[in-house]
Amino acid sequence: MKELNKNEYKSKWRIRPDGHDKVTGSLKYLTDYCFPNMLVGKVLRSSFPHAKINSINTTEAEQLEGVEAIITYKDVPGMNRFGLIFPDQPVLCEDTVRYVGDAVAAVAAISEEIAMKALSLIFVEYEPLEVIDSPDKALSSQMKLHPAGNVLHRAGYKNSEYVLDELKKCPYIVEETYETPRQMHAYMETEGGVVVPENDGKLTVYAATQHGFKDRMQLARILSIPESNIRVISSPIGGSFGGKDELNIQPYAALLAIKTKKPVKLHNKRTESVRAGIKRHPMKMTMTTGANEEGKLVGHIVRIVADTGAYATLGPAVLDFAVEHSTGPYIIPYVDIEGVSVFTNNGVSGEYRGFGGNQVTFALESQMDRLAELLQINPLVFREQNLRKADDPGPLGQRIVKNDGARSVLTMIKKSPILTQPLKTEPLNVKGRGVAITMHGGGLGFGRPDPSGARLSLTKDGEIEIAFGFEEFGQGLLGSIEIMMMEALGCRKEDLKIVIGDTDLVPSSGSSTASRSTNMIWNGIQKLKEPFLNKILDEAASYTDTTRDLLYLGGKGIWRKGKIDQLIISYYDLANYLSDKLPIFHTQFHFPTTPDAVIGGHYLYSFAAVAAEVEIDQLTGRVKVTKMDHCVAAGPVVNPLGYLGQIEGGAVMGLGFTINEDSVMENGRYHTQNLDSYLIPTIKDIPKEMKVFVDESLMEGDVFGPRGVGEIGTVAIAPAVTAAIHDACGLWVKNLPVSSEEVLDALTINAFVEK
Amino acid sequence: MKKAKVENKIDLTFELNGQPYHLTVPPTYRLVDILRTDLQLTGTKISCEIGRCGACSVLLNGKVVNSCLVMAYQIQLSTIETIEHVSHQSLHPIQQAFLEEGGLQCGYCTPGMIIALKDLLEQNQQPTDEEVFEHLSGNLCRCTGYTGIIRAVQRYREVVNKKEEIQ
Ligand code: FES
Ligand code: FES
Repeated sequence: MKELNKNEYKSKWRIRPDGHDKVTGSLKYLTDYCFPNMLVGKVLRSSFPHAKINSINTTEAEQLEGVEAIITYKDVPGMNRFGLIFPDQPVLCEDTVRYVGDAVAAVAAISEEIAMKALSLIFVEYEPLEVIDSPDKALSSQMKLHPAGNVLHRAGYKNSEYVLDELKKCPYIVEETYETPRQMHAYMETEGGVVVPENDGKLTVYAATQHGFKDRMQLARILSIPESNIRVISSPIGGSFGGKDELNIQPYAALLAIKTKKPVKLHNKRTESVRAGIKRHPMKMTMTTGANEEGKLVGHIVRIVADTGAYATLGPAVLDFAVEHSTGPYIIPYVDIEGVSVFTNNGVSGEYRGFGGNQVTFALESQMDRLAELLQINPLVFREQNLRKADDPGPLGQRIVKNDGARSVLTMIKKSPILTQPLKTEPLNVKGRGVAITMHGGGLGFGRPDPSGARLSLTKDGEIEIAFGFEEFGQGLLGSIEIMMMEALGCRKEDLKIVIGDTDLVPSSGSSTASRSTNMIWNGIQKLKEPFLNKILDEAASYTDTTRDLLYLGGKGIWRKGKIDQLIISYYDLANYLSDKLPIFHTQFHFPTTPDAVIGGHYLYSFAAVAAEVEIDQLTGRVKVTKMDHCVAAGPVVNPLGYLGQIEGGAVMGLGFTINEDSVMENGRYHTQNLDSYLIPTIKDIPKEMKVFVDESLMEGDVFGPRGVGEIGTVAIAPAVTAAIHDACGLWVKNLPVSSEEVLDALTINAFVEK
Repeated sequence: MKKAKVENKIDLTFELNGQPYHLTVPPTYRLVDILRTDLQLTGTKISCEIGRCGACSVLLNGKVVNSCLVMAYQIQLSTIETIEHVSHQSLHPIQQAFLEEGGLQCGYCTPGMIIALKDLLEQNQQPTDEEVFEHLSGNLCRCTGYTGIIRAVQRYREVVNKKEEIQ
């Protein structure tokens, strides 16, 4: 166990390569770009959460001076649908709107004011339909939101016919229903970008995405042009957290740019981003969990209903993930899990950091605490005696890479002063502390195409160039690549050229998602390093007439070992010498998957434990998390500063999920339309003390390298905090975000009972 | 037939990043539009556009303001400093501290954070934690969880302390 900080990591603690340009404001984000003759695009979104479109009249808007193009579904030359897996979302709606973010028309004009004015002059005749604003309604209604009905996806896992029978025999049973909010990604940079029609008939798309190649493929389908005619430039990005993986403004800007033959910029206003953007799936989870006299878990029945909103996006995969993570790192002999993902007229739910794990982990860990209380044993001891062992199978019974992370994080968190030191009491506040753990799969899972790739070369300018199709959205990818390259090759950062985020320049590496990038980068470099080193050293040896074994790569160029090591040829000179036969190596490989045919089942997992201390204001019921410790087991730490940032940032995002974030909808419309009513944590809302500890070890034979930590920092926060709330006031929180009224009620009851 | 669009414009004179400026813009323009769109100073960011997030922070007559809430007429004869100017000679020590302590990730909130901190630190080189929290409570960051930012301010204080000791 090691604390993740500057002192422990010394020289590995490195300034990020994109840092300078970010602190000085000189970095151009894609939404900062401007081009000559650029037009401003705006999208007209649906006036109703559910309605038939009877007509769309654009005549008046077209006559407004300064308007250069207006598009409706009639202007979509190819497939009028998008969606990462199931293309079911209309680019521009033809006859029906299914949520308030649905696009009906789009405008390009010479200024934003004119574009806005034009939107107000587009007349759409709607015929409002019944609004299905909850999964319950959707499941019972005759109204079908999609031709195949209102169920998007069902998923489940059952390992025995006798789950209910076994549960009935349990002396200790807890049954509860939990609900979690529609969390918004709230990236500071809202969706946007510019699409530029080039002279050669090609299209350059400057817009944020987590998967440039997937955007290109979908755009080609919509625009009906070959993929090779589209170039997607997709980094740097001002935050994503899963929220920009799906197409957002790209199709509109592209259609308008093609129609006007001019660059078109679209940058969503926050209110539009709220309305149209995807959110975390709200889930309702009923869990019945039983334990025997010895305190061993016996049975676990789980029913999950996910509100996927109007369109599919990654709804099915999120549900699969939730099902898989419903048992967490525990061994439960009798398990029966069923989930359903339901279409509604609410905002579209899609990919979000943690990918369905956060919701079920909150429910599962709450169950663990309740059972421990019933059994009157320490919640950590209860967890410990039910914990998976290193070589136990994964949650779906699939083989996974041997890993003792669960025990490791549990052992680490036990030592947290939050749990071991006595709570300081204060007159007006009550305090409490809690703990939770999680196990989180990386990569897309069995049965899903999850390829990756990399390219390593020496450029004619003498730079060692490494290229990936990943995106930098703040997570620190560039820094991680730099560190891994320097470690693998022995060169300096000045010798490197890192290329990402441009489909014309990089190999396809798959999506920057599912905590896969760090792992895939490490793997890519491992695969390319040998051939590259061999080639370079061979060439250097023959050119300088030196024994190859004495040579190695270092700063500036190739060095010869000796009494005093000597630079014998610089990369630049070597590149010159090689001129037209510069070495270039490619690799394509797949994210490691379990050998067992379990759809969506993961193979590599990481683990985390969280301890939290809360302070509750007795007068207002307001909960403040005052301390938080995090322990993570995810293999070697590649980039300490980046790793720490991911865990800290993830933790505070998890805190928002727990304490105050909810995109409140009624009748399919948002009440919380901007950051004044949708409250993400501010600097005053975070714990004053926060520490991160890591276990970097991998088990013998684990050749899979460092796991990504993009998601794991968010997952176990909610249950740790709610356990602390229970400790403080006796309330078992069932619904997130925590309601101060409920807390206050619990405090009042306590006061009453005490008297 | 296309209808003509009539628009009033106003003349503005102000000083921006040490340079005098004269501009003619619609009075409905906000300072953030003038900076980002007319002058291409895109270091100032937009996010909420209602004065809630601080991404658009600039210094107006030496005080931090949300440029999304400042109307064009309000900058008449004023002095404005944006993030582009903060490092015109060299990195401000708080920028350096951000780099060293991981005070940024996506970086979209960073210019606003730096501007807000510069405002605070110019009044008070050794703010207490409470003062820092108070001053930054209008600047939202979704990536860092603020912990890196707090470390950066601590680092800044250490550096300033050391300098004072040497002197
Ligand atoms: S954009 Fe001005 S405060 Fe948010
Ligand atoms: S670094 Fe991304 S919002 Fe602060």
